Amino acid sequence: MAHQAHAYHMVDPSPWPLTGAIAALLMTSGLAIWFHFHSTTLMTLGLILLLLTMYQWWRDIIREGTFQGHHTPPVQKGLRYGMILFITSEVFFFLGFFWAFYHSSLAPTPELGGCWPPTGITPLDPFEVPLLNTAVLLASGVTVTWAHHSIMEGERKQAIQSLALTILLGLYFTALQAMEYYEAPFTIADGVYGSTFFVATGFHGLHVIIGSTFLAVCLLRQIQYHFTSEHHFGFEAAAWYWHFVDVVWLFLYVSIYWWGS
Amino acid sequence: MFRHLRTLQQVSRRTLSSSARAQLENKVPHKQKLFQEDNGMPVHLKGGTTDALLYRATMALTLWQYCIIYIHANKAILN
Repeated sequence: MAHQAHAYHMVDPSPWPLTGAIAALLMTSGLAIWFHFHSTTLMTLGLILLLLTMYQWWRDIIREGTFQGHHTPPVQKGLRYGMILFITSEVFFFLGFFWAFYHSSLAPTPELGGCWPPTGITPLDPFEVPLLNTAVLLASGVTVTWAHHSIMEGERKQAIQSLALTILLGLYFTALQAMEYYEAPFTIADGVYGSTFFVATGFHGLHVIIGSTFLAVCLLRQIQYHFTSEHHFGFEAAAWYWHFVDVVWLFLYVSIYWWGS
Repeated sequence: MFRHLRTLQQVSRRTLSSSARAQLENKVPHKQKLFQEDNGMPVHLKGGTTDALLYRATMALTLWQYCIIYIHANKAILN
């Protein structure tokens, strides 16, 4: 094997960017086909291809880092920058929806009754399930920090327990939110209130599911001895993402649920 | 009687921990050896037969669906 004279990672040629791009093409055109011709086949196939791509691409990254030792300190620094930039882009994504909410709620039009919440809308009580959801996510922030310290201190069993607890709290949040969606006295079709509420909280819920999945992968890796006390960036990335999801919820809670009610 | 109970406790603990250890055994050194083998295989195929099967299934789906979209797009443009 040729030995490199630098600490950087020259990646093997990979088919996954191509399959991922085709999956994106299938999903977007599939969405258009669904809207106009009522068939979900193309979109479903695109989703399957996307899942196959994600599984194999991330499996390869784990192989490159944990089994082949390619994630040297400079490489890890690059991965850290990458994750930070990605989370920053997600912050801007949510900023757009908060902009939409404040645009409509700070100056409610006469069509809404000149007030916020608009006439006819019964908002959810912010001190019931939404407050519980806030407590659940804040607690999960504590448990994920506990998991991090456990990993750094080599406490295998505690790391597994605290990480599992974090995931359970995430699932509990999702279940509670799903129940709230079902029981809500308003829908997404109920004017700009419904639109801003369900699009902002809906995308947040999707991010909770993504974050929980990321943490679950970390749990499996922790059980399989992938993480060492010095090197566990996959977990750190998942923890950063989880804290971001938590902070977005706090903004949602204060703005939409509390101030907006 | 208590000596019997303690012996039972020790035996069951030993049996449980050895079977648990077999399930949760650290396979990382074995994987490191497998993926660092100098056989010229790219990382996405280096794990063995399952890798090749999964790769072929994914690529087949990719190419088949790309053709379908290409054909449909052509039909839509020409009509």
